[in-house]
Amino acid sequence: MIATMTETPAGVQQQLPVIELVRPMPGFPDTHRFTLEPLDDTGVLSALRSLDHADLKFLVVSPGTFHPTYAPEIDDETAAALGLTSSEQALVLLVVHAGRDLASTTVNLRAPIVVNIETSRAAQVILDEVAHSVATPLLG
Amino acid sequence: MLVLSRRVGESVVVGDDVTITVLEVRGDVVRVGIDAPRSVRVHRAELLAELAASNTESASPSEDAVASLNEELTRALRKRS
Repeated sequence: MIATMTETPAGVQQQLPVIELVRPMPGFPDTHRFTLEPLDDTGVLSALRSLDHADLKFLVVSPGTFHPTYAPEIDDETAAALGLTSSEQALVLLVVHAGRDLASTTVNLRAPIVVNIETSRAAQVILDEVAHSVATPLLG
Repeated sequence: MLVLSRRVGESVVVGDDVTITVLEVRGDVVRVGIDAPRSVRVHRAELLAELAASNTESASPSEDAVASLNEELTRALRKRS
Protein backbone atom coordinates (compact mmCIF):
# COMPACT_ATOMS: atom_id res chain seq x y z
CA MET A 1 0.00 0.00 0.00
CA ILE A 2 1.09 3.53 -0.71
CA ALA A 3 -0.51 6.33 1.24
CA THR A 4 -0.80 9.44 -0.83
CA MET A 5 -0.44 13.08 0.08
CA THR A 6 -3.26 15.46 -0.57
CA GLU A 7 -1.07 18.49 -1.04
CA THR A 8 0.09 19.29 -4.52
CA PRO A 9 3.56 20.77 -4.81
CA ALA A 10 3.14 24.28 -6.19
CA GLY A 11 3.58 24.59 -9.92
CA VAL A 12 3.76 20.87 -10.55
CA GLN A 13 0.73 20.82 -12.82
CA GLN A 14 2.25 23.23 -15.32
CA GLN A 15 5.19 20.92 -15.86
CA LEU A 16 3.19 17.82 -16.67
CA PRO A 17 3.60 16.57 -20.22
CA VAL A 18 1.25 14.09 -21.90
CA ILE A 19 -0.46 11.91 -19.34
CA GLU A 20 -0.86 8.29 -20.39
CA LEU A 21 -3.55 6.18 -18.75
CA VAL A 22 -2.30 2.66 -18.09
CA ARG A 23 -5.93 1.53 -18.23
CA PRO A 24 -8.90 3.46 -19.51
CA MET A 25 -11.42 5.29 -17.33
CA PRO A 26 -14.72 3.40 -16.91
CA GLY A 27 -17.04 4.57 -19.69
CA PHE A 28 -14.19 5.75 -21.94
CA PRO A 29 -12.55 2.57 -23.22
CA ASP A 30 -10.50 4.05 -26.08
CA THR A 31 -9.20 7.20 -24.42
CA HIS A 32 -5.65 6.97 -23.18
CA ARG A 33 -3.77 10.25 -23.60
CA PHE A 34 -4.51 13.53 -21.85
CA THR A 35 -2.93 16.85 -21.07
CA LEU A 36 -3.48 18.68 -17.80
CA GLU A 37 -4.08 22.42 -18.06
CA PRO A 38 -4.76 24.81 -15.17
CA LEU A 39 -7.96 26.79 -15.71
CA ASP A 40 -7.27 29.61 -13.29
CA ASP A 41 -4.38 31.53 -11.80
CA THR A 42 -4.54 29.70 -8.51
CA GLY A 43 -4.27 26.30 -10.21
CA VAL A 44 -7.15 24.89 -8.17
CA LEU A 45 -9.30 23.92 -11.13
CA SER A 46 -7.67 22.12 -14.03
CA ALA A 47 -8.83 20.49 -17.24
CA LEU A 48 -7.80 16.99 -18.20
CA ARG A 49 -8.07 17.26 -21.95
CA SER A 50 -8.15 14.18 -24.19
CA LEU A 51 -5.64 13.97 -27.01
CA ASP A 52 -7.58 11.07 -28.55
CA HIS A 53 -10.96 12.81 -28.73
CA ALA A 54 -10.79 16.52 -29.42
CA ASP A 55 -14.00 17.48 -27.60
CA LEU A 56 -13.48 15.37 -24.49
CA LYS A 57 -12.29 16.89 -21.25
CA PHE A 58 -12.78 16.44 -17.53
CA LEU A 59 -12.55 19.07 -14.83
CA VAL A 60 -10.28 17.99 -12.00
CA VAL A 61 -9.15 19.41 -8.67
CA SER A 62 -6.52 18.44 -6.15
CA PRO A 63 -8.33 17.18 -3.06
CA GLY A 64 -6.23 19.14 -0.54
CA THR A 65 -8.10 22.43 -0.77
CA PHE A 66 -11.51 20.83 -0.30
CA HIS A 67 -11.05 17.52 1.50
CA PRO A 68 -7.84 17.93 3.49
CA THR A 69 -8.15 14.60 5.29
CA TYR A 70 -8.63 12.61 2.10
CA ALA A 71 -5.71 10.19 1.75
CA PRO A 72 -6.52 7.37 -0.65
CA GLU A 73 -4.54 4.15 -0.34
CA ILE A 74 -3.42 2.86 -3.68
CA ASP A 75 -3.35 -0.89 -4.07
CA ASP A 76 0.00 -2.53 -4.79
CA GLU A 77 -1.00 -3.66 -8.27
CA THR A 78 -1.91 -0.13 -9.37
CA ALA A 79 1.20 1.30 -7.70
CA ALA A 80 3.28 -1.18 -9.71
CA ALA A 81 1.42 -0.39 -12.95
CA LEU A 82 2.10 3.33 -12.41
CA GLY A 83 5.68 2.74 -11.28
CA LEU A 84 4.97 4.45 -7.94
CA THR A 85 7.44 3.76 -5.18
CA SER A 86 6.72 6.69 -2.87
CA SER A 87 3.82 9.00 -2.12
CA GLU A 88 5.85 12.02 -3.26
CA GLN A 89 5.60 10.75 -6.84
CA ALA A 90 1.79 10.62 -6.75
CA LEU A 91 -0.45 13.48 -7.86
CA VAL A 92 -4.04 12.83 -6.84
CA LEU A 93 -6.82 14.47 -8.86
CA LEU A 94 -10.57 14.29 -8.34
CA VAL A 95 -12.97 14.28 -11.27
CA VAL A 96 -15.42 17.17 -10.89
CA HIS A 97 -19.07 16.98 -11.90
CA ALA A 98 -20.05 20.61 -12.50
CA GLY A 99 -23.52 21.17 -11.14
CA ARG A 100 -25.86 24.13 -11.69
CA ASP A 101 -23.90 26.01 -9.05
CA LEU A 102 -21.01 25.50 -6.67
CA ALA A 103 -23.22 23.92 -3.99
CA SER A 104 -24.43 21.17 -6.34
CA THR A 105 -20.97 20.52 -7.79
CA THR A 106 -19.54 17.15 -6.76
CA VAL A 107 -16.27 15.26 -6.91
CA ASN A 108 -15.61 11.55 -7.22
CA LEU A 109 -13.79 10.41 -4.07
CA ARG A 110 -14.31 6.73 -4.85
CA ALA A 111 -12.17 6.73 -7.96
CA PRO A 112 -9.44 9.41 -7.97
CA ILE A 113 -7.08 9.82 -10.89
CA VAL A 114 -3.56 9.14 -9.70
CA VAL A 115 -0.65 10.41 -11.78
CA ASN A 116 2.96 9.44 -11.38
CA ILE A 117 4.49 12.90 -11.80
CA GLU A 118 7.86 11.44 -12.80
CA THR A 119 6.62 9.16 -15.58
CA SER A 120 3.21 10.77 -16.33
CA ARG A 121 1.58 7.36 -16.16
CA ALA A 122 -1.87 7.53 -14.63
CA ALA A 123 -4.99 5.55 -13.78
CA GLN A 124 -8.41 6.15 -12.33
CA VAL A 125 -8.01 4.07 -9.18
CA ILE A 126 -11.10 2.36 -7.79
CA LEU A 127 -10.78 2.44 -4.01
CA ASP A 128 -12.12 -0.25 -1.73
CA GLU A 129 -13.49 2.22 0.82
CA VAL A 130 -17.25 2.21 0.37
CA ALA A 131 -17.46 5.39 2.50
CA HIS A 132 -16.06 7.38 -0.43
CA SER A 133 -18.91 8.45 -2.70
CA VAL A 134 -18.64 8.96 -6.46
CA ALA A 135 -20.63 12.17 -5.92
CA THR A 136 -19.33 13.97 -2.82
CA PRO A 137 -20.05 17.71 -2.57
CA LEU A 138 -16.93 19.62 -3.63
CA LEU A 139 -17.39 21.94 -0.68
CA GLY A 140 -17.87 19.17 1.87
CA MET B 1 -23.11 -16.76 -22.34
CA LEU B 2 -22.00 -20.04 -20.81
CA VAL B 3 -24.43 -21.13 -18.10
CA LEU B 4 -23.38 -23.67 -15.48
CA SER B 5 -25.16 -25.06 -12.42
CA ARG B 6 -23.01 -25.29 -9.31
CA ARG B 7 -23.64 -26.40 -5.73
CA VAL B 8 -22.24 -24.76 -2.61
CA GLY B 9 -18.56 -25.59 -2.37
CA GLU B 10 -18.20 -26.16 -6.09
CA SER B 11 -16.10 -23.94 -8.34
CA VAL B 12 -15.55 -22.83 -11.88
CA VAL B 13 -12.12 -22.04 -13.26
CA VAL B 14 -11.71 -19.16 -15.70
CA GLY B 15 -8.54 -19.19 -17.77
CA ASP B 16 -5.42 -20.51 -16.08
CA ASP B 17 -5.56 -18.83 -12.72
CA VAL B 18 -9.00 -17.53 -11.76
CA THR B 19 -11.20 -19.76 -9.58
CA ILE B 20 -14.70 -18.74 -8.55
CA THR B 21 -16.30 -20.76 -5.75
CA VAL B 22 -19.90 -20.69 -4.56
CA LEU B 23 -19.58 -20.28 -0.79
CA GLU B 24 -23.15 -19.86 0.39
CA VAL B 25 -26.66 -19.55 -0.97
CA ARG B 26 -29.23 -17.89 1.23
CA GLY B 27 -32.51 -16.83 -0.34
CA ASP B 28 -31.66 -14.71 -3.35
CA VAL B 29 -28.15 -13.91 -2.10
CA VAL B 30 -25.24 -15.94 -3.40
CA ARG B 31 -21.80 -15.47 -1.86
CA VAL B 32 -18.93 -16.24 -4.15
CA GLY B 33 -15.23 -16.42 -3.46
CA ILE B 34 -12.84 -15.32 -6.18
CA ASP B 35 -9.29 -16.52 -6.28
CA ALA B 36 -7.31 -14.55 -8.81
CA PRO B 37 -3.82 -13.14 -9.24
CA ARG B 38 -3.40 -9.55 -8.09
CA SER B 39 -3.10 -8.39 -11.67
CA VAL B 40 -6.72 -9.39 -12.26
CA ARG B 41 -8.93 -6.60 -10.98
CA VAL B 42 -12.24 -7.78 -9.56
CA HIS B 43 -15.11 -5.32 -9.07
CA ARG B 44 -18.84 -5.48 -8.58
CA ALA B 45 -20.41 -4.80 -11.97
CA GLU B 46 -22.69 -2.09 -10.58
CA LEU B 47 -19.72 -0.13 -9.20
CA LEU B 48 -18.09 -0.05 -12.64
CA ALA B 49 -21.43 0.98 -14.15
CA GLU B 50 -21.77 3.72 -11.52
CA LEU B 51 -18.26 5.00 -12.26
CA ALA B 52 -18.88 4.90 -16.02
CA ALA B 53 -22.10 6.89 -15.53
CA SER B 54 -20.36 9.36 -13.20
CA ASN B 55 -17.49 9.86 -15.67
CA THR B 56 -19.92 10.29 -18.57
CA GLU B 57 -21.98 12.87 -16.67
CA SER B 58 -18.82 14.73 -15.64
CA ALA B 59 -17.26 14.71 -19.12
CA SER B 60 -16.99 17.84 -21.23
CA PRO B 61 -18.98 20.43 -19.29
CA SER B 62 -20.02 23.48 -21.32
CA GLU B 63 -17.74 26.50 -21.45
CA ASP B 64 -20.41 28.43 -19.54
CA ALA B 65 -20.47 25.85 -16.76
CA VAL B 66 -16.67 25.92 -16.51
CA ALA B 67 -16.55 29.70 -16.44
CA SER B 68 -19.22 30.07 -13.75
CA LEU B 69 -17.73 27.28 -11.63
CA ASN B 70 -14.33 28.90 -11.89
CA GLU B 71 -15.77 32.25 -10.89
CA GLU B 72 -17.76 30.89 -7.93
CA LEU B 73 -14.82 28.81 -6.80
CA THR B 74 -12.41 31.74 -6.88
CA ARG B 75 -14.87 33.81 -4.85
CA ALA B 76 -15.47 31.02 -2.32
CA LEU B 77 -11.77 30.38 -1.83
CA ARG B 78 -10.99 34.08 -1.48
CA LYS B 79 -13.63 34.32 1.24
CA ARG B 80 -12.03 31.43 3.06
CA SER B 81 -8.51 32.80 3.14
